[in-house]
Amino acid sequence: MHQNKKFSVINPSKMCQPMGAVQALLGVNDTMPLIHGSQGCGTYMRFQLTRHFREPIEVASTSMSEKTVIYGGEFNLMKALKNVTEKQSPSIIAVTSSCLTETIGEDMEGIIEKFKEANLDQDLPIIIPISTPSYVESHVEGYNRTIKALVEHLAVKSVGNEKINIITGNISPADVREVKNILSDLNCENIILTDTSKNLDAPLSESALDLYKDGTTIEEIEDTANSLGTIALSKHMDSAAIYLEKQFGVKSISGPLPLGIENTDKFIGSVCKLGELEVPETIKRDRGRLIDAMVDAHSYNYHRKVAIFGDPDFVSGMTRFTCEMGMIPSVVCTGTKSKRFIEDIQIISDEKKVSPVILAGGDLYDMHREIKEVGADILVGNSYGASMAKEEDIPLFRVGFPIFDRLGAQRIFTLGYKGGINFVDQLTNTMLDYYYDEAGYEVSGDESEETIFEGYFAGEEV
Amino acid sequence: MPYKLLEVDKEIPERKNHVYVKHCSDPEDHIPNCNTKTIPGSMSERGCAFAGVKGVITGAIKDVIHVVHSPIGCTSYGYGTKRYPTSPDLPNGEKFPIENFNLKYILGTDLQESDVVFGGIKKLRQSIIEAHKEFPEANAIYTYSTCTVGLIGDDMDAIAKELTEELGKKVVAFNAPGFCGPSQSKGHHVGNLTLFENLVGTKEPPSTTPYDVNLIGEYNIDGDLWVIKEYLDEMGINLLSKFTGDCSHDEICWMHRAKLSLVRCQRSATYIADLIEEKYGVPYIKVDFFSTKYCSENLRTIGKYFGLEKEAEKVIEERMAKVGPELEFYKDKLQGKRVFIFSGGPKSYHLSKPLEEELGMETVAVASQFEHKDGYKKMKDRVNDGTIILDDPNSLEFEEIIEEYKPDLILAGVKEKYLAHKLGVPCILIHSYENGPYMGFEGFVNLAKDMYSYIYNPVWRMLEFEDEPTEYGVEKGLDKQLNCDGLKEDLESKDQNKQPDGEVA
Repeated sequence: MHQNKKFSVINPSKMCQPMGAVQALLGVNDTMPLIHGSQGCGTYMRFQLTRHFREPIEVASTSMSEKTVIYGGEFNLMKALKNVTEKQSPSIIAVTSSCLTETIGEDMEGIIEKFKEANLDQDLPIIIPISTPSYVESHVEGYNRTIKALVEHLAVKSVGNEKINIITGNISPADVREVKNILSDLNCENIILTDTSKNLDAPLSESALDLYKDGTTIEEIEDTANSLGTIALSKHMDSAAIYLEKQFGVKSISGPLPLGIENTDKFIGSVCKLGELEVPETIKRDRGRLIDAMVDAHSYNYHRKVAIFGDPDFVSGMTRFTCEMGMIPSVVCTGTKSKRFIEDIQIISDEKKVSPVILAGGDLYDMHREIKEVGADILVGNSYGASMAKEEDIPLFRVGFPIFDRLGAQRIFTLGYKGGINFVDQLTNTMLDYYYDEAGYEVSGDESEETIFEGYFAGEEV
Repeated sequence: MPYKLLEVDKEIPERKNHVYVKHCSDPEDHIPNCNTKTIPGSMSERGCAFAGVKGVITGAIKDVIHVVHSPIGCTSYGYGTKRYPTSPDLPNGEKFPIENFNLKYILGTDLQESDVVFGGIKKLRQSIIEAHKEFPEANAIYTYSTCTVGLIGDDMDAIAKELTEELGKKVVAFNAPGFCGPSQSKGHHVGNLTLFENLVGTKEPPSTTPYDVNLIGEYNIDGDLWVIKEYLDEMGINLLSKFTGDCSHDEICWMHRAKLSLVRCQRSATYIADLIEEKYGVPYIKVDFFSTKYCSENLRTIGKYFGLEKEAEKVIEERMAKVGPELEFYKDKLQGKRVFIFSGGPKSYHLSKPLEEELGMETVAVASQFEHKDGYKKMKDRVNDGTIILDDPNSLEFEEIIEEYKPDLILAGVKEKYLAHKLGVPCILIHSYENGPYMGFEGFVNLAKDMYSYIYNPVWRMLEFEDEPTEYGVEKGLDKQLNCDGLKEDLESKDQNKQPDGEVA
C-alpha cells in the first residue's frame, strides 16, 4: 500500500524553533516571550502549551500584517515592546524571530537598540533578541539557542559560587523538581536553566495570572558564569554550557538525560565529580528501590517490543532504560535530523544487543510504517501517537510534549531513580491492563477469541 | 459615552473603540471597531489566515489530503486541532476507506533554509506527487501557502494547475499566508473564494430532488451537523452539499445544483452563498439552529420555503416533547446565572438571547475574535443595556471583565479556559465543545447540562481567594510612557480603521 516517501513530512514529530524558545522561557522568572512574526505563531503555541499544561500561557506577538511585511516590522516590534513594557512590565522581554521575520531579514537587534535609545530615561526591561528561524532544525534547537542567548546576555564573571548549572531541556515540571531534589539530596547548590517546576504546577490562585513569580531569576542567570560546571541534561541543548566553558572556564558536561539506572548513575557521577561530593544514603536507597521495582516488573516486560518517539535525548534515554528493563526497542524515532542521536542509539544497540529501526528526522507516518513492519507491544511518546496506537491495538504510554488527551502533563515523572520507579510501575501496569487478565495471567494474543474474531473480519483489509 | 477604556487598556488607548457598552439610545452604528489589524503586543487571542482556511474551512472535508507548504511549525500546529468528525459515507454510495481521514493526516513540505533562498516550488511539487502516491484514496489534494511561501513568492496556483493535469486529480492551492488580513477571518474568505472558483459548477450530482439544499458554514463540530441532518431528513429535505462539515470534495463541486442554500455560520461562509446566488441564482437564507426557539423558527422557515410546513411542525413537536421537561429543570437551576460569551464570532449572538429567554440566564458580556460589522450589529441587537461587547479582547481585558462583571460561567476557547479557572470561574469550550453536540433541540440540552454541571460542581466552593481585588494600574501597569518616535504611528492607526469588511487582497 505504501511506497517509500522521500520529500514531505506526514504527521510531524517535531515543531519549530520559536516553540522551543517559548518552552525554555516558561521557566524564567517574570519574563514575557514576544514572537516577532504573524499573530498565528503566538496563538498556535499558546494553544499547544495551554492544552498540554492546562494552565494559562502568555505569549506576546508583534502581529505582522501585509503592509509591515513589505516595509519591515520596525513599527510592530517597537509598538509591541512599548505595549508589553507598559502593560505587563516584565523584567525580561525575550524577542524571538519567526520564519516570517527571518525571511524578510529583519534587524531585530537594531530595532531593539532604537527602542532603547528612544527611551533612555526609562527603566526598561532587559530585552534579549533570539534568532529562531522556523525553517532551520526544530524546537530542540530553538530551546538550545534560547538558553544560550540568556547566558550570553546576562552571565557575568564575579566570585565563584560553588554551584552547578543544570540545563534541563524540555522536560516536565515534575522532572525538573526531581532533578532539584536529587541535587538537594547531594547537598549541591544549583542554578536551573530553566526552572518550570513551580511556574507550571502551582496551586490555584489569582496571582497565577501575573507573570511568573517563580522560575530562574536574572541574578541566577548572571551567576552561571561563576559556577563549578554546567550539565546539559540534553546533549542537543548544550550550547550555553559550551559558551560558559569557553568564555568563563565553567566546565561543561553534555548529557545523558537521567532516565533509568545507567544514565542516572552517570548524572549523579557528573554532579559528584564537579562538586567533589559523596553520594548520600538516601540516593543509594532510591537506586536500590528502582532496581527492586525493575526486578518485580521483569516478567511482564521482558522481551516486549517498545516503540519510542519524541525529542532526541528523551528517545535515546528511554531506549537505554527500556533495554535495562529487558524490553526490546523496535522502532525509535525523533523528528530532528541528528547524528548525535544516531550515534547514541548505535552505542546502546551494541551494548544491549538490540537493533531498533532508527528514524532520525523521521515523522509519525514513517514510524507507523516501521511498527507495522517490525512490530511493537507498546508505544511510548506524546498524544500524537494515539491514533497509531489505536490502529495497531497497542497501548500508548504518554510522555513528552504535547499531551492534550490526558490530565496532569506537568506531573509526568520519569527522571532519576525515583522517576524511574514511577515509570516502571506505570508502564508495567499499562502492560498488565492490556495483555493480562484479572488474575494476572497473560492473555495469549494469537489464541484469544477476540483476536480470532477480529482477524476474521479484518482479513480482507490492507 | 458608549465606548469604554478599560483600566488595563490605559496604555493602549486605541483599544477603547473596540470595547462598547450597549445603551439603547445610542445610534445604530455604535458598535465596536472591528476587523482591523491586531495591535502589536496587545496579547490578542486571534489566530492567522492559514488557521482560518485549514483549521476552519477545509479541515472538515473527509476525503482530501492536505499539503501545507511551510516550515515545520505551521504543519505541526495545523494537525489534530479541531474536533470535526466525519462519516465514511460518500455521495456515490461508497465508503471512504480511512476513518476520520480529515483528522488523521497532515502533510508538509518542511521548508529548509535552502528552500527559502532558492524557492520551494520543486519541493512542493514532489510533496504533492508523493501525497498522491501515499494516499491514492484521497479524492483531491489541497495545498496551502504560509508566511514564508507568501514572501518567497512560490507560484502555488501554477503548480496546482500543472499537477491537476499531470496527476488526473484535482489539486487546489489556497493562498492565505498567515500575515494576510487582520485575523483568521481572512482565511475563511480565501477558503470560500478558492473553493468557489475552483470547484463549484465543475461536477453534476448523481441525482437531484426538488428538496435539495446546501448547508453552508456548518462544520460538524462534535457532530452538530448530524443533529441538523436528522431533522432535515425527517422533513424530506435532502442535504445535497455540506460546506464543509462531514462533506466530500465532490459535494462542493455541485453546490450550484441546490434549490436553496442555508447559511449557518454567517461569518465564515456567507461569501460562498453570495457567490453561488450571484452566478447560479441559488437563493440563500441565514439560519440558526442553536436553542429550541431559533431551531424551531428556522425549521419552519425552511419548511415554508419547500411547502413542508407540516413535516417541520412534526419534527419540532416530537423534539420539544422530548427536551421540554429537561430544559425546565435546567432553567430552574440556571436562573439568574451570569454568562460571558467569548466566541470566535457568531456564537456570541446565536447564544446570547436563548440563554436568557430559554434558560433564564443573564448575558453580561459578549466578545468575538474576528467578527465584522454585521455580526456586531446582531450582537448588539441581542443583548440588554449595559452588556459589554468586546472586539478582539486580550487576556488582560478578559481578566478585568471577569473581575468587573462577575460572570458565573464563561463560554470561550481553550486558551481562555484555564485563565478563567484561576479566577474561580468555570468555562465551557464553545469552539470545540465539552460534551456536545450543542446544536438543535437535543444539543441545547447538552449545553444546558454542561453549564449546569460546571457551575454547580463542588470544586468551586473549595477555592480560597483573598478578598482584596487586584488594583489595576497599581500592580499591572507602570507610569511609564514609552516612545516609539520617528514612526508613522498615526498614519498606521488611521489606516487600520479604513480596512473595509471582508476586503480581499
